[in-house]
Amino acid sequence: MITLGVDVGSLFTKGVLLQGDDMLASLVWETTGNISREMDEFIEKIAEAGKISRSGIEVCVSTGTGDDLVQEADFTEDEVACLAMATRVLIPDVELTVDIGGQSITNILSDPDGEVLNFMHNDKCASGSGRFIEVISDALGVEMSNIDATVNKAAKKIPVSTQCAVFAESEIVSYVNEGESVPDIITGVCEAVARIVVSQTLRLGAVNKFTVTGGVARIQGVTGVLDERIPGEFIAFPIDPELAGAYGAALLAQMEE
Amino acid sequence: MYFGGIDVGSLTAQAVILKNNEIYSYGSIRVKPSPVDSAATVLEEALNDKGLSREDLTFCVSTGYGREQVQKEGLSGENMSEISCHGKGAHWASPRARTVIDIGGQDAKVIKVDSEGELVNFVMNDKCAAGTGRFLDVMSKTLGISVEEIGELSSKAQQTIEMSSRCSIFCETEVHHYLQRGATMADLAAGINHAMADRVMALVRRVGLEKEVTMTGGVAKNVAVRKEMEKLMNARLVSYKIDTQIAGALGAALFARKFGEVKS
Repeated sequence: MITLGVDVGSLFTKGVLLQGDDMLASLVWETTGNISREMDEFIEKIAEAGKISRSGIEVCVSTGTGDDLVQEADFTEDEVACLAMATRVLIPDVELTVDIGGQSITNILSDPDGEVLNFMHNDKCASGSGRFIEVISDALGVEMSNIDATVNKAAKKIPVSTQCAVFAESEIVSYVNEGESVPDIITGVCEAVARIVVSQTLRLGAVNKFTVTGGVARIQGVTGVLDERIPGEFIAFPIDPELAGAYGAALLAQMEE
Repeated sequence: MYFGGIDVGSLTAQAVILKNNEIYSYGSIRVKPSPVDSAATVLEEALNDKGLSREDLTFCVSTGYGREQVQKEGLSGENMSEISCHGKGAHWASPRARTVIDIGGQDAKVIKVDSEGELVNFVMNDKCAAGTGRFLDVMSKTLGISVEEIGELSSKAQQTIEMSSRCSIFCETEVHHYLQRGATMADLAAGINHAMADRVMALVRRVGLEKEVTMTGGVAKNVAVRKEMEKLMNARLVSYKIDTQIAGALGAALFARKFGEVKS
C-alpha cells in the first residue's frame, strides 16, 4: 500500500511517501500563508518524485500545527503519536524522542510497541525552539545551514544567560558590541538551546537510549551538547530528522485498512 | 538643600533633583553602553538645567542597572533597589496609591506599598518579554510604527484582534499573518495593547490588588494599555502630574533626602 504523511509545521511543511516500509520520496517546503492552496501542487510533486501517479496514494494522513490545512488528508494524527511511531519503526530500542521543531519542544517517552507513556510539550514560548536559533542567527548574520561550520571556528563559548528569545537577541548584540567573535557567541547559543531542551527532558526521567528529531536535530552544535547532558546513549535518527513527523504519519496511514 | 536621584533603565535613564519637597529639575536620556556613563550624563543634564553642579547636592542615590557601579564611581553616596525607589516615587506622586504597576523597557513589576510608601511586597517578571516594554517595541516594529503611536492607534479600532500566543516572537508571526489577510493596523494595535495588559494583569493577580492603583514607567504613557488595565482590574488608575518615567529616579532622590537628613 502507498501512503502519504504530511507534517505541516510552523516553518516547514514536510511530506513522506511510503510503500510498506520503503520511503519512495520526501519533500520539504516552506510553510506559507497559502499552504492550503499549495497542497495540491505539493502532493503532485511528491507523487512525481516517487514515480507514481497521484491516484496511487491510497491513504493520506496529516499532522503538525497546520494538520487541518490539508484538505486532501483522510484523517489527522497527533504529532506525538507520529513521532513515537517513527522512532518505534526505525530505532525500536530507543525510549525517548526529543523533538525540536520550529516553534515547539516535545519530549516523548514510549515503550517498544510505540505506545506513548508520557510526554511534555512546549509551544507557548519560542525559548529553545527553531525560532529561537533563527532569531539569533539572523541577528548575527549566520545562515542556519552554516551554524555548525561557524561553531567549528570557535575558540571559546560565550554563555547566554537569558531564556527569552527577545532578551537573548539583545544579549548577543551586546556581546557583538563588546567585540566577542561570532563563532564564540553562536557556540554559546547552541549550548543555551540544548540547556533549555534538557531541562524539559530531565523531567521525564532517565532512559537508556534517546534520539533527536526536528529540523534543529541537524545542528551538531546542539545535538553534541544534548549528548553530553542527557544521560543515556544518543542514537542519531536514521533518516533526515526533519522528516520524522511526516514519516510517522505515513506509517500510521499504513495501518489503516 | 538639593538631593539627587539617578535611575538607569534598559532603554532610558533619568535623574531627579529634589529641593525641599519639590521636584526642582529632572532629565531623561537614551542609555549609553555603560550605566556609569548614562548616570553621569543624565545627572549632568538635570543639574545644568538649573545651573547647579554635583557639589551642590547634599546627597545622591542611584538605582536601576549598574547602581552599585554608579556608587563606586562616586556619582552617588548610596544605592537602592528599583523596587523600593519606584514604590517610593509613585507614592510621593499619588499618596493614596497602595499598588504600583511599573512597566519598564525589559521588565514589569507590581509593587505594594504602605501608607508611608515603604515596600510591603512585590512580584516581578524579567524573564520573558511578554508584558514588558519590549513586547510593545517588537510589535510596533512589526506594524512599522513608533511605540508612541501604538496607544493612539488603538482608539481607531473597530474590534480587538486577540493574539492566540503570549510569546513576543510568536505574536510577531501572528501579526504578519493577520496583516497579509488584510486586518487593519488599528484592530491589531488594539489586540496588542490588550495582550500587553493581560500579561501585566497576571502579575497583579499574584500580588493581589489593593486600591488605589497607579502606573509608572514608559508604558504608563500608553493610553490604550491604561484603559485595558482599568477594564481588567475593574479599578481606576490614579494619575499624577509628573512624568511617569521619572518615578524611579524620584524615589531615589527621596531616599537621598532621608540619608542626607540623617547625616546632617
